[in-house]
Amino acid sequence: MSEKYRFDTMSLHSGHVPDKETGSRAVPIYQTTSYVFKDTDEAAALYNMEVGGHLYTRISNPTIATLEQRLASLDGGVSCVACSSGMAAMHLVVTAICSNGDHIVASNKMYGANINLLQHTMTRFGIETEFVNPNNLEEIEKAIKPNTKLVFGEVIGNPGLDVMNVPEVAKICKKKNVPLAIDATFNTPFLMKPISHGANIVIHSLTKWIGGHGIAIGGAVINGGNFDWGNKEKFPTISGPHFAMNGISFWEEFGPSALTAKIRAEGMYNFGPSLSPNNAFYILQGIETLSLRMKKHIENTKMMLEFLKENEAVSWLRHPDLENHPDHKIAKKILPLGSGSIIVFGIKGGRDAGKAFIENVKLSSHLANVGDAKTLLIHPGSTTHSHLSSEAMKMSGLTDDMIRLSVGLEDIEDIKIDFEKGFKAAAKILSKRS
Amino acid sequence: MYKDFKGNKVYFSTGGLNLVNDKETLCFVHGAGQNHYSFTQQIRYFVSQGYNVVAPDFPSHGFSEGNQTTSIEEDMLWLAELLAFLKIEKATFIGHSQGCLTILELAEKKPELVMGLVFVAGAMSIPVNDFLIDTSINNPEKAYDFMVTWGQDSYGSFSISDWPGHNHLAEGNAVMKMNDPSVLSTDLKSCNLYENGKQAASKININCLAVLAKFDMMTPLKKGLQMVENIKQCDYKILECGHFLPIEKPKELNALIKNYLISLK
Repeated sequence: MSEKYRFDTMSLHSGHVPDKETGSRAVPIYQTTSYVFKDTDEAAALYNMEVGGHLYTRISNPTIATLEQRLASLDGGVSCVACSSGMAAMHLVVTAICSNGDHIVASNKMYGANINLLQHTMTRFGIETEFVNPNNLEEIEKAIKPNTKLVFGEVIGNPGLDVMNVPEVAKICKKKNVPLAIDATFNTPFLMKPISHGANIVIHSLTKWIGGHGIAIGGAVINGGNFDWGNKEKFPTISGPHFAMNGISFWEEFGPSALTAKIRAEGMYNFGPSLSPNNAFYILQGIETLSLRMKKHIENTKMMLEFLKENEAVSWLRHPDLENHPDHKIAKKILPLGSGSIIVFGIKGGRDAGKAFIENVKLSSHLANVGDAKTLLIHPGSTTHSHLSSEAMKMSGLTDDMIRLSVGLEDIEDIKIDFEKGFKAAAKILSKRS
Repeated sequence: MYKDFKGNKVYFSTGGLNLVNDKETLCFVHGAGQNHYSFTQQIRYFVSQGYNVVAPDFPSHGFSEGNQTTSIEEDMLWLAELLAFLKIEKATFIGHSQGCLTILELAEKKPELVMGLVFVAGAMSIPVNDFLIDTSINNPEKAYDFMVTWGQDSYGSFSISDWPGHNHLAEGNAVMKMNDPSVLSTDLKSCNLYENGKQAASKININCLAVLAKFDMMTPLKKGLQMVENIKQCDYKILECGHFLPIEKPKELNALIKNYLISLK
């Protein structure tokens, strides 16, 4: 990977130098829908993607482009398209590569919305997905069929925290000539860069640790530029003729950046999941401190794990950095700086105790997000999955006593005190029952 | 576009259109370890401007098969034969880096083919230090890293680009990785061996254009200016960027080439 500058420097500078006209040191927010063409030649060249530039913010925008260039450089990708959310990013990838009759192999331990998209929505459009155990290499290889166009997984699964053996899965994908797309939201490029482990496409929900402050929804697709799309029969959407621009082949004209050219020319153009320039700005502010925050997230997570390990109210504890985690060895290898700041644990007393815990913590926020600077919690049994029976929850890989904790940047002693209050309330439920 | 040429599958980009007999032809000649993607932001632009464009991947580069040429003289002959095969009688040649040596040689040996010449980040000779040649033999990927990082000025290194979302460094690296691993060292040795540039330059009798890079660490500006001095009629422009000028300053380069083409008429 060619990098002239190191991670922290790129986090602050990639994609931007002081504005030539105004001297603005910060990235300006280009709050505009469109751009005046210098002449008709330039307009035509932009519409045909002959040269770079901006014509309409649905397709690209200078503030968003700075974010994209920064993300591409941090993840070691050749190019990036930022979009309105992580789910939009995943949809852009699937629709850029797959068509009716195609097949995807995906992890069965992914974020519920990822699974819903593949299992329920894409099937309506004739794209089938076979779900596999992300660390059963044999199962993954067997599941790949001649019409498989994509293998998809998460570095750290949500909410189960399974760690995918990305380098080994990438070897299988390379052998089978299928691109490997990895959702790297939970690790961020600070903890692990999937492209350097052989993945071809990286997807981020920028809403989480990358933005890092719970203020802006965004997503990104980062193209590794390391996949050969040249098989026209297998990947006609990338290497076959495009419906516009004189029927060009993105692979022949854009080479390593073919996928992102396709996403911009079709996905952004026809579906329109554009990011707002303001949100791009907020996310850029987050990236400036990404490494500082990730270090503190990891430090606090370690202390929180120690605290929970010793706590009598906790019935079980799961994090890939713990030796008893089934993927601990893989995590140690591919996530040497730490396996993220999500912890899941069980609370003694089941669903009701979990509910009592959640309702009695004050500093930790009870909400449906992760990766904020603030500590966040959710109890799926009383919220997102409250409609499910204990058995049905087990089928989804969840238990009714499970709490998902997103460790924030507070002084961890204050979070521990907050948790003690929640545990005390949970213990009351347990003692009433006994 | 793929063709069977001299017993091998050869690729040359035409910007997605078929070549048309009555159009002027521009031939883009890539540099060491590169392929037609060096000119991504030129090829389709000039097709839209009404030109035939031929941007070949030399043997073993990019999508082209066949044994790699091992000298600038062989590069020149291969290119001349390809144009004859495509029934192109005359063209304006735009060379980048090593491609400048190839078109200098072509201008001397096959002047009947040459309508115009544009030298981009070029010189009459491109000596390559032993360290880079050794690295390109023993650890090609390390050599790609060196070339890509030396080849961009600080704007490029910070992924600053008019092309939204592009990271020049990683992209340059990916382009070089598309070639066989032995390609770069062979190209660099070809550059190192070439000694006829000064003589070739002195024989050029047409108006030429040189577009040079102020922060060029691969083909230093000083050497580019020496070439300009040796060509009877060579206009030149210096752009504030590094060696990979067609990627770093595409719009400026396109405008200069466009004006030059108008001046030829």
